Amino acid sequence: MKGKLLIIDDEVEFASTLSERLRIRGIDVTDAYSGTEGLAKLEEVVPDVVVLDLKMPDMDGVDVLVKIKQFDPAIEVLMLTGHGSGAAGKAAMEKGAFDYIMKPVDLKELLQKLNAAYEKRCNS
Amino acid sequence: MDDAIENTIRQEQAESFGRLMAGFSHDMKNHLGIIRESNGLLSDIIEMSGLDENVLPLERLKKTISSIEQRVVIAAEMLHHLSAVAHRSDKPLSSFQVNDIITEEHTFLKRFSRLQQIKVSLELGEGLPSIYNDPSLLLHVFYRMYILSLEQLSPGQELMIITRQKEKMVEIIFRLPDSFHPAPEVFSNNTIGAAVNKLQGALQIGDDSQAQADISLTIPSLEGVLED
Repeated sequence: MKGKLLIIDDEVEFASTLSERLRIRGIDVTDAYSGTEGLAKLEEVVPDVVVLDLKMPDMDGVDVLVKIKQFDPAIEVLMLTGHGSGAAGKAAMEKGAFDYIMKPVDLKELLQKLNAAYEKRCNS
Repeated sequence: MDDAIENTIRQEQAESFGRLMAGFSHDMKNHLGIIRESNGLLSDIIEMSGLDENVLPLERLKKTISSIEQRVVIAAEMLHHLSAVAHRSDKPLSSFQVNDIITEEHTFLKRFSRLQQIKVSLELGEGLPSIYNDPSLLLHVFYRMYILSLEQLSPGQELMIITRQKEKMVEIIFRLPDSFHPAPEVFSNNTIGAAVNKLQGALQIGDDSQAQADISLTIPSLEGVLED
């Protein structure tokens, strides 16, 4: 993925380690550790793709997703979910998320989904 | 107790247990997620350095190894508590320490308070007597009261949970912030009251005359009750 990526997850250690691994792979990543911080960084970074946790203390992930789409409907959002069934991820897709990925994250699967999301962003 | 109330208690008990397990599962996935990413990062670092000791970023490696170790310890502790909680239903009545039930359950409930940005502190009394009662039902009642207490509070506020001996019984107090007085029906307008009755316990909601709003749950030892 060549564009800008924003990761929003309140698990600081998880988000920062994942970012570091993605940076190693040449991706331009910015981290935010709450919904509020993520929305603030949205204007600053103007990402192509956002990886967004569904459950955060300050804001629900779906509420953040709606605000991202209001800011720029072309930004693609990949939801991170800890739910076993994936039902919450599917529900988020109905609200405009590009796709979802389960925790713990499989990096290969994440990279594939990021590439697909970025491609869609470029074609929109 | 009529069958309808009994069934409702059982239904709510199963629901409490299910939510506890869902919270546990989320927490475990977070810990495993960090372990997986940290392990992947170690692998990335080693691959990048080409196993050359002179270019290995040792400090970063140590930090990552420490992170894996820490998360494994937390995950193992959670599994230990999960095992204890699961075994609470082995017998309908048994002897237990109320503080153990609270410590076990608090491990899983921390997630709920963290999501609502409410600080929960425990002040568990020392040397409390063992209680002979229904531990599984107490787990459910404690869960409901904990969640209801959190629902009364706003982000940034604090909930204190205190245990102490009250005659031959153990009292669990949910202390809400000063001058915060929940409507009594919040805690009694459901089947909690019936479940507390089944434990032969007592539920008391603090009134405006108290400095703090205390919600007190007193649990007797049924052996003690029978002996008396």
